[in-house]
Formats: sequence, structure tokens, C-alpha cells
Amino acid sequence: MKERLLSEKFYEAMRQKEPRYPDRKALILPSLHQAQAEFGWLPKEILAEIAEYIGVHEAQIREVASFYTMYNLKPVGKMHLKLCTNVACCLRGANELMEFAEKKLGVKCGETTPDGAFTLSEEECLGACTTAPVMMANDDYIENLDINSMNDFIEKVKHER
Amino acid sequence: MSANPQTLFVQHFWKDSNRTLDYYLKEMNGYEAARKVLGSMAPDQVVEEVKKANIRGRGGAGFPMGMKWSFIPKNSEKPKYLVCNADESEPGTCKDRQIIRYTPHLLIEGLLIGSFAIGCKHAYVYIRGEYVREAQLLEEAIEEARAKGYLGKDIFGSGFDLEITVHRGAGAYICGEETGLLNSLEGKRGEPRVKPPFPAVSGAFSCPTAVNNVESIANVPHIIRLGGEVFAKLGRIDKSGGTRLISLSGHVNRPGVYEVAAGSMTLRQIIDDLGGGVWKGKKLKAVIPGGSSSPVLTADEIDAVYDVEPLMKIGTMMGSAAIMVIDEDTDLVKLLLRITKFYAHESCGQCTPCREGCHWMESLLHKVIHGEAKPADIDLLVDVAGNIGGKTLCALGDAAAMPVQSFVKKFRSEFDAYVKGQSRHA
Amino acid sequence: MPKCTIDGKEVEFKPGENLVSVAKRAGIEIPVFCYHPGLSVVAQCRMCYVEVEKMPKLQTACSTQAAEGMVVKTQSEAVKKGRAGTMEFLLLNHPLDCPICDKSGECDLQDNSFGHGSEFMRHSEERRTYVDVDMGPVIQKNMNRCIHCTRCIRFGDEVAGIHEMVAIKRGNNIDITTIDGKQLKTEYAGNYSDICPTGSLTLKDFRFKKRAWMLKKTPTVCEGCSKGCNMEVQHEGNVVYRCVPRENLEINKYWMCDEGRFNYQYVQDPSRIVDPMKKAGDSWLVARWEELLSGLRTDAAGASVLFLVGTDLTNEEMKAIQDAARALSPKIQIQSFGTPGVETSGQDGPRDQILKMKSKTANLKGAESLGISPLLGSAKSDVVVVFRGGRAELPRIEAKKAYGVGVFLEKERNFFHAILPGLSFLEKDGTVINHQGVPQGMKRALLPRGRCKSTGEMLMLMLNQRNNEVTA
Repeated sequence: MKERLLSEKFYEAMRQKEPRYPDRKALILPSLHQAQAEFGWLPKEILAEIAEYIGVHEAQIREVASFYTMYNLKPVGKMHLKLCTNVACCLRGANELMEFAEKKLGVKCGETTPDGAFTLSEEECLGACTTAPVMMANDDYIENLDINSMNDFIEKVKHER
Repeated sequence: MSANPQTLFVQHFWKDSNRTLDYYLKEMNGYEAARKVLGSMAPDQVVEEVKKANIRGRGGAGFPMGMKWSFIPKNSEKPKYLVCNADESEPGTCKDRQIIRYTPHLLIEGLLIGSFAIGCKHAYVYIRGEYVREAQLLEEAIEEARAKGYLGKDIFGSGFDLEITVHRGAGAYICGEETGLLNSLEGKRGEPRVKPPFPAVSGAFSCPTAVNNVESIANVPHIIRLGGEVFAKLGRIDKSGGTRLISLSGHVNRPGVYEVAAGSMTLRQIIDDLGGGVWKGKKLKAVIPGGSSSPVLTADEIDAVYDVEPLMKIGTMMGSAAIMVIDEDTDLVKLLLRITKFYAHESCGQCTPCREGCHWMESLLHKVIHGEAKPADIDLLVDVAGNIGGKTLCALGDAAAMPVQSFVKKFRSEFDAYVKGQSRHA
Repeated sequence: MPKCTIDGKEVEFKPGENLVSVAKRAGIEIPVFCYHPGLSVVAQCRMCYVEVEKMPKLQTACSTQAAEGMVVKTQSEAVKKGRAGTMEFLLLNHPLDCPICDKSGECDLQDNSFGHGSEFMRHSEERRTYVDVDMGPVIQKNMNRCIHCTRCIRFGDEVAGIHEMVAIKRGNNIDITTIDGKQLKTEYAGNYSDICPTGSLTLKDFRFKKRAWMLKKTPTVCEGCSKGCNMEVQHEGNVVYRCVPRENLEINKYWMCDEGRFNYQYVQDPSRIVDPMKKAGDSWLVARWEELLSGLRTDAAGASVLFLVGTDLTNEEMKAIQDAARALSPKIQIQSFGTPGVETSGQDGPRDQILKMKSKTANLKGAESLGISPLLGSAKSDVVVVFRGGRAELPRIEAKKAYGVGVFLEKERNFFHAILPGLSFLEKDGTVINHQGVPQGMKRALLPRGRCKSTGEMLMLMLNQRNNEVTA
């Protein structure tokens, strides 16, 4: 048998979730989330292992994973900054923030810093429009952003490393 | 807030500890509505009460909620599902997030009552993937409720069982469309389904399903507690019961989630009285009244009462009650490009007009902004929008077409200025 | 039967029937791309718009079931504008490379563009392009031509039972492909090309060989197994270019397998024996018909003679062989051969969940209906005469003299002392009976190759031989 890449924790989490759905295929999204939480991104081998676990064709997992923007099919930096530039955020300066972040990190939107510390992405509406501009820093929202608070946040992450 | 005497939600939206079961039980008379329903009401009576409440769906389409529940077949042998749409993805909207953060038990109690009403034993909350923390909070609240016996087996000794599962999305606007959501719940690409069959007949896992927005479901305990008629009368306008949570964002002094009795205020009052007016002392240029898909209004169109019918009368819509305020210095052509880019990015790609057309509109707007467009391209843009709107498999096509049509119609001179190389924003 | 009205015509319909199908029966063609009667309805291409009275928006005919009293318009201004809009959208990113596209001439996109599109293009933006993967020996992919109808994905899922064609990514960037350039696994891959409404999936075997409009089309039946799939042979100048399935809802629906589809190739194999030949020591010589036929006649009248009849022959041929045997000598034994292990129809059965049957010849039932019992084991006799259509698997022959009558390749001739070349299934008319007992007609599409003769002619000449009459 092939060596498993996903941890026992992954399989335990899926076993917990399995009885909650009448169809095993419903585990696809939760399993992709769980696997990404472990690996930071979703390499093909992981997708193949998930397909085997759930019992679907590998292609089906790939179809699903590529549909949703949150699944990283390429490696991302340790801190993934996803800055919303949709209407409400853009009305309150998101574009300027993006320019600032690009300059500060020395990468273009969509890129990862050479040391793998940061990935900067543009995000569609994050659903926190009344506290715009907003970005996601890994799993957390940072709201009411301005250039100062973004600068402070990036500095803080750099120092924590 | 004189025009706004009674609120059901916002008074709790301020402190993290308000989300606890303890607070809910003590301060909000928590789970008493569910106890009453499970103990003394028949499912049909619950549906009747919701019908009397005149509550329209809070997700965007505004479909009467009681009617939706009554479509669920009673004698089906298949399991039935109640699915809560917490995808909250229409740009501008962030009210459901507040409910989950501060009053998650209202949602859980609403799910309990709704599940009882339609005969569901396992409810799902489909929450957008980005709401990682909110999903965690909701799961914690579900655990709290289960520990107290408000979920699980034989709730309140009534013999009624219910489980709730939180299912996270993964970044796709289209999963806010109810059939896209159901596909996503089933582990598929979030592509909307052909209707009919409607979810009430064949929804989640091919079983009868009601899909309701978070705010809609969270209102159910209020409806039971107040009684449908009283709830209906909270609204100041026909066919709209209860209160509305409004996400007010953009160029206002005090952006935030506000609550108003349905139809009790005009757009102008909401912007000025609740939002404190346009920021930085600037003049108002435009308002997007119901999420980014709703047709834009000019500054002199905002005396309409803020509710479904009055807005429909002036050619726009209330949608998810997300108001975005736009000041005089804003480049509306660029803003429209941003909106259009969003819909092109979020098009699932199934159907032709949306897949091809949204991208084309985006390209045309790029040309306009980069001074490469001819005057005829503006008309072309509007015509393309017309070939998308009303012609797609789901409502995303309309959502993409309406802003284009309305921005050009109402602010044509700004587009023409770009084409002539005379825009002050160029 | 309930009735609805389409373009003023009152039409009856079966409950549940969609408007595309109801309209078709009334002689009204509604243009479609994603809709295929053999696949699930997805209403994605938005080409089949119709106007339905009391419905504010245009409806897609594929996903709209006819209802009693429904009034449908298929030619209104709104419908025309809707369809023109869809055509325009579909052509935004289509390369319009019809002059070098194999689909040209039989392309739904071309036809519908001509019928419903505009002659002007309003689009000047750059087109979307893709890098294509190799998908194996059967299908050539060209994603730039794809219009995302997803017929191929649904065919894989719903008919072939394999999820190998997938949609990756979303929106304007969707790629319809196999993952990581995996080769197609299904043994029904040719259908991908048939159902593709553009030149996105074409047959490698047919690539750049012939323009579609030059092909002559002959409806016939596949001889690949006992299923009897209905097919069309497409040929020109006595050369077959391809075979495609023909709709028969009772037998093969809309599909056929690759084995059947490409089975025709042996017919025009350069090593097929198309001259009467005889063995002379270690080599083979072209012979005269009269010489071989008189030899056969003499040998067949001998002591121990076995006529082996391939279950790949038609009923008419089998009957002629039986009659000829009777006329020659009552001692001649007749047995059938075809697929080892599937000697009787009782042993026949599905080879997969789709179409293929275990019997690899078309007419096992026919042989049984004529009372021909199967050969079991090897063919032992002084003289063995093998009558064969082309697919029946040759048994072991233990004979002093063996004749091969019918279709043989050079590599197969060493079993025999003489070959009398006959006609393949594409060169003759006849009846075969499929596994369900349905008799179906094979149609001649090609003229005989070389000096091949029909079984009937050979037998007749042999029985009535007067030497100077046998020429050719």
C-alpha cells in the first residue's frame, strides 16, 4: 500500500464528519479544508489521496478544488495576506493599500516573497464591508485598515518570525 | 434613532460575551420560543405563523419565507433538509456575520423551529469559507446548545431530534445562489442547477429542501415570541414584516450594520440619520442600494422609502439591504469596472452569456478606461449587458448586467468623457 | 395525448417531453449545443431560447417540458435576438479556423452561426487560448474551439461511466480536459468526437483525411459483436474514412464502441487477399477462379468434408452455403465458428455495462436460427472449407486440404491451401440477427476490391461450372 501523506488527525476529523452527511462526497470540501490546514496548500498527491479516501475519481477532486478560490493549488507564503479590493473596500482606499503592500513586501499582487514569508493576493468581497478596507491574514480578518495599521501588521509578522 | 423604535438584533451587536448561551437565556429569553413550538404547536401552525409574519427572505430575492416553507411536501418519504445560507457574498453585505458573531443562538433556535416546521432532522449551515472564525463561533454555540439538550435527541422531551452541521464554503460568490450552494454542500463545483426541479422538491442530496438566509432564520424565534401578526406590524409597509438589517458602507461618516423597521425610513434618512451623512463633508454622487448587483441610484433618487416595493418602483432593488454610498469625487467608470470584474471572476462558467459576456464587458470597460474605446463601444457595452440579463441559467447574469446598464444610463457623460479623452479621472 | 402550440401549429406530446423534441416532431428545428437527447439536460449553452406565453423571460427549450395548452414561439424577435446574442458570445473566443478544421461542414457551431448569428463581428479583443494536452490515440483535442457545452463530460459520466473529461477552474478560464494530460481510458472515446458540437474533439483517425461534405454516407450495421449497433459508413472513391453511430433507441441509442468504429480498417488493409490464390510449396501464387472452384468442387464431393461457417456471415450467405453443401454431397458437415468460448447464444452476454457483447461476431443468432451447430475444438476433416466474413476467429484446422473462402489477411493464409477472396460486411447486402433476436440489414457501401466475389456468386459458379464461363 502507498504511504499515506495525510495525518491520522486528518482521518480522525473526517471520520467524525462522515456520519453528518448522507453522501460521502459531501466530505470533499471539508477534507480539502482539513488537508490545506495541514499542508498550507494542496499538492496533487494530496488530492489523489483524498480522492481515494472518499472513493471518487481523482479528476473529480481536481474539478472541485479548482473551482474554489480558497484552495491553494500552488504553495503560498507562511502569512497569506488577502486584501479585498471590491466596491466597499475600494471606496475606502483598498487600491492605495494594495500599492503600499506591494511596495512594502517587494512583490506584486499574486506573488510570494522570496523567503516564503508572505503571499499577497487580491480578494473579492470578504463580507465585512462596514469595516472596510479589510484583509484576511491567514484565517483572521483585519478590519478598518489604513496604511499605518497595515504597515504595523506586516512589521509585527516579520518580527514574530 | 427616532424613526426606529424597536430593534430585534442590533442592541446585542456590541460585546463578544453576548454570543454565549448564558446571555441568550438571560437577556433574550433564549430557546423559549422553541420550547413553545416543540411543546404545543403543530408544524403547520408554525408555517402559518411565519406566513402571518409577512417576512420576506433576507438573502436578496425577497421571497416570502412562510410560502417557501409551505412548498416542502409533507408526505415525502425522503428526508427533508433545512439549509441556512450563510454565504453572505453579495458585495456590500455583512449583516449575517454580525448575527453569527453576536447572536448565534438566535440562528440555532431559528433552525430548531424551522426544522420542526418542515420536518427536518438534520439542518446545515453553509457558511462562506472566509468566515473561518465565524464558523468556529457557530460550532461552539452549537456545542453549547447540544450540551443543554437544545439539540440532539428528544429536544424538550418532545420526541423531536435535530442535528446541525456547519459546512464551510471555499471561496465562490455563486454558492450564495441556493442551488449552487446545494451543489457545493454535496461536494461538487458550486454550479447552479437547472430549475425546475426546485429545491423544495429536489434540493440537498436530492431531497426536499428549504434554503433560507441567516437573518431570515434568526427572525423565526422573534416571530414565535411576538406572534406573526405583531411581527408583521413591525414593518411599516405592506408585504414586509419585521425589521431589516442594513449594511451601510462606502463614503459615509458612520458605516455599520443598522436595523430599521421594514419600510420605516427613506434611503436619505438612512444615509444621513444613521450613517451620519457623506464623509469628509462631500456631496453625494450615487448610491448602490441593495448590494453591488442592484441598479445604481443618483443623488436625487434617494427619497424613496427603503424597502422592496418602493425601490422596485424606481427601477432598482433592495437585494440584501447593502447600501454603498458614493461621493462626488468617485470615478464611476472605474467603480463599474471593479464591479464587472467581480462578476466575471465569480461567473461559474456554465452558461454562455455569463461566462463570455461578463468577461467581454470587463474588457470593454478596460478599453474605455485606457482610452482605447470608440463612442460606439459604450452602446455595445449596454447591448452586451442586455444579451446577458435575463438570459442566464441563474441570477448572476442579471447581477452582472444591471450595474452596467444602470451606471451607463445614469452617468453616461462620465463614460463619454473617457472615450473623448476628457475624463478628469483619466 | 395532451397538446401544445408551437409557432401556431398544434402538436401532441408525451408528458415529460421537452420542447426541443416536441418541436422537432412538428418539423420545427430548435438550435442546440449542449442538449443531447442521450444525455442529461443542463441548459448551459443558452441557444435553444423560445418564448413561452405568460413567461416573462426567454426559456430554454431543452429544459422546458411541454404542458397542455402551452403556447410557444420559436421565431419571435426576442428569440432571434437571444440566439444571436448567444452565437456572438460563443464566437468571441472561437478561432474561426474552419478552413483547417475537420469538423467543418458538419459543425453545429457553423450551422447555427449561419442560421442564427450575425454576419458582423463586434468584438476586437484578444481571444482566449489554451495549451492542449494529448489525450491518447483516439481523440485530438483543440480547446480553443471549445464552446463549453460539457457534452463530453456528461457522456463520460453518464454513458461511458468514467469521469475522465473534466472542467477545471471556472468562469472564463474553464478548461475542459483530462487531468494532467492523462490519456482517455474509455473504449468508447470516438463518441466524444461525434457529440462535440465543434471541432474541439476530433478523431485522430480521420484527421485531415477528408472534408465532411465530400463523404458519401451509407447506413448499415456494425459487425463488431452481437449487439448490432446501427452505424453509418462514410466513404468516398471506394475508400472508407470513418464509421459513426446511427441512432437506434432499442439497440445502441446514439453510441458505438471504438472497436466497432475502427473495425472497418481491415477491409482496406493492403495485406487483405483480394485475388484468388493457391499455395505452391512455400509460396503463394495468384490463381484463376475456375481452377480453384473446380478444385473445391472436386474436393468437396470427397469422403470427409467439413464446411465451417463464420458467424460473421449474413443469413443469406449461410443459407446459400447450406444449399450448396446439400447439392454437392449429403455427407458434408456444416458447423459454425466465431468467438472461442461463446459458441452458443446462451454463452453470449454483455462484455461491459454499455454496449459490447461477448460474441465478437454479428450473426451468432442467425447461424443458430439456420440450425448450424457450433464447432467445438479444432476442425478435423480430410477437407475443410472455411467461409468467413472477416471477424470470426479462425479455429485450429487439421485437414489434408483446407480452403479459405471470404476475407483473409496475408498473415492468416498459411492455414490454407487456397484462398477464394470474398466480400467484407461493407461490400455486401444481407441480414444479421443480433443478440436480442432483432434482424437488421447490412448495406453495401463499397464495390468489391480486386477480384473478390460474393459468396453466392462463388457457390453458384462452383455448382454450375462450365470451365470457359469462369473468368475474371
